[in-house]
Amino acid sequence: MTTTLAGGRAARRQTMRRIRPRRSPAVPLLLAVWAGAAAVLWLWWHNTPSIADDTSRILNAGRITGLLAGYLMALVVLQMARVPALERRVGSDRVARWHAMSGRYTLCLIVAHVFLTMWGYARQAGKSLGDIVQQTLDSVDQLPDMGKAAIGTGLFVLIGLTSIGGIRRLLPYDTWYHVHLLTYAAVFLTFWHQITTGNDFAVEPAAKTFWYALYGAVTALVLWYRILTPVRLNLRHRMRVEAVIEETPGIVSVLIGGRRLHRMGAEAGQFFRWRFLAPGMRFSSHPYSLSAAPRPDMLRITVKAIGDHSARLRELTPGTKVWAEGPYGALTAQRRSKGKVLLVAGGVGITPMRALFETLPGAAGDITLLYRANTTNDLALWDELAAIAKERGARLMYAVNSPEGERPDISAENLQRKIPDIETHDVFMCGPPGFAQSVFEALRGAGVPARRIHHESFEM
Amino acid sequence: MRKSHPVRRVVLATAATVSGVVLLLSLKPASDPAAASTAGAAPQQTAGAQDSPQGGAQAPAGSGTVTGDAAQTQYGAVQVRLTVSGGKITKAEAVQAPKGGVSDQKTQLAVPKLNQEAVTAQNADIDTVSGATYTSEGYKKSLQSALDKVKPASSGSSSGAAQARTVTGKATQTQYGPVQVRITVSGGKITKAEAVQAPKGGVSDQKTQLAVPKLNQEAVTAQNADIDTVSGATYTSEGYKKSLQSALDQAGG
Repeated sequence: MTTTLAGGRAARRQTMRRIRPRRSPAVPLLLAVWAGAAAVLWLWWHNTPSIADDTSRILNAGRITGLLAGYLMALVVLQMARVPALERRVGSDRVARWHAMSGRYTLCLIVAHVFLTMWGYARQAGKSLGDIVQQTLDSVDQLPDMGKAAIGTGLFVLIGLTSIGGIRRLLPYDTWYHVHLLTYAAVFLTFWHQITTGNDFAVEPAAKTFWYALYGAVTALVLWYRILTPVRLNLRHRMRVEAVIEETPGIVSVLIGGRRLHRMGAEAGQFFRWRFLAPGMRFSSHPYSLSAAPRPDMLRITVKAIGDHSARLRELTPGTKVWAEGPYGALTAQRRSKGKVLLVAGGVGITPMRALFETLPGAAGDITLLYRANTTNDLALWDELAAIAKERGARLMYAVNSPEGERPDISAENLQRKIPDIETHDVFMCGPPGFAQSVFEALRGAGVPARRIHHESFEM
Repeated sequence: MRKSHPVRRVVLATAATVSGVVLLLSLKPASDPAAASTAGAAPQQTAGAQDSPQGGAQAPAGSGTVTGDAAQTQYGAVQVRLTVSGGKITKAEAVQAPKGGVSDQKTQLAVPKLNQEAVTAQNADIDTVSGATYTSEGYKKSLQSALDKVKPASSGSSSGAAQARTVTGKATQTQYGPVQVRITVSGGKITKAEAVQAPKGGVSDQKTQLAVPKLNQEAVTAQNADIDTVSGATYTSEGYKKSLQSALDQAGG
């Protein structure tokens, strides 16, 4: 059995109204981040008249790494504050990659800061590198707020360890996630020693004010967008599971009802983080894309059973309360620049493509969907796609393995043969990382500029 | 979706960070170059002198290094050495500070901050570092004695000290009203003394008119605060001497 959520024409009109092609704010944001880092370095420069010997060189290297770590720490938290400008315009996937990258870097800076500072203190006291452990214990014991900072640093190291690829795969997602939430505690604990023992903050009231403002602003954004906004959204829309439908073996759709759902501002191509208030599921939320344009009374997600959580979705009973956060994601019609559009879906990556296929404005023949799956049996939502294609005069193609299990050849030449004017298309793509990478290269080979290939990938 | 190269990224980030930090550290001079650049700025400070009862121009005149008296604290001696150039403290350092055990920590914590504060404040009126109260107090005492030693006369040849500066002492309360003295220092000498505040009204007007010109004259003659009390205006004289002393302290003389 398959579901059909109609309403394509109305959704297209809505989308049309909302399309304002806008540039991603990524470049100005990155410039601002670099400017902030430069300001932090300037603060150190300004407060350091001279460096006499190796001991002060080591201590000053410790100060620089500490200042940068303190600055980046605030940004690492900010990247996960679910600020709409980041989630919807830069793109959740890109921001998550920034978060992972800057998180790793910050952790390295923290470790370097601790090592250099303690080494410098040990040297200052006339001790050698070997006494660094004793020196650390003494400093933690005697300097203000250092006990808190030590606990916070321990938490950072723990969070870092659980995020290493191999270890993370061994852990259940929930465990990893809840350990990760300790970041807030760690940031809070390590904040105070920056103010009380940090040379630059002791002598420069303006720097102290700036630091409080930075951390205060990040705290406010986290409270607003991670707590207040979702509470308001869920109180307003009161979502519940309406039905669970098996589309193909291993792929289920969940229909979610609620009040005035069209007022959530969700667009085709976006996703929510869903938390189903059912036994065993209420403590974790997962991102799933909308697989149809939102209707006033109904949302639909389509999910492939690949993990614990997604496998349990099929056991959801109608009436289960749903807690959602969103909408997030930047893979929307706003990204397109030209008239024609090619959508490329790999496996369950069809979900946002299905919603876009229905709602992207365009005349007959402007929209093409290429759907890659293992076998024709795995082409979830196919009947719906065929109906949409017929209704709007869009092209629908699929590529499956041959009966012998041979992979279809999605190459630049094949793409050009199928779609002769492919280089004038905008391409939206969603699928597993390996698939997305190979299609990306084929598209580039066929002459599609990188800036017109829009994709979302949650690979870290 | 450019191909990601995690190893290359890690190597690049590490190399960039390490070389950036090393570059920053190596660009810093081994000794403070502020001397040359701040010498010319000293005279500007006179402008603010009148506005603040503390006096805006607290900088000691002269050039060179001055070591203050060692101040004993319950954890050991603290002794401060100042580098003064063009009438400004360009560097402060502790040549002695409490050592051993807990004291090492406190010294490491407090001394850099106190050094920085001394350079920023240009006087001994600096904040105590919490957790290192004794060290801070000792530091302030030794710093004050170092400041006292920066005698303008001892470095009269310095070009920076040749500029006339005004220094306003603290207002001293007397039973008839506050007294506040402003002195003009030039070439390491007091060339003028005047009262910017003095008791007023009724009998006090008389006494002020009588005493202040004399006191001004005495201050210029004596070149210190050890001046005679004007008979019949004892309170005003005593207040004048106190404010004069504080002005001299600020001027480093």
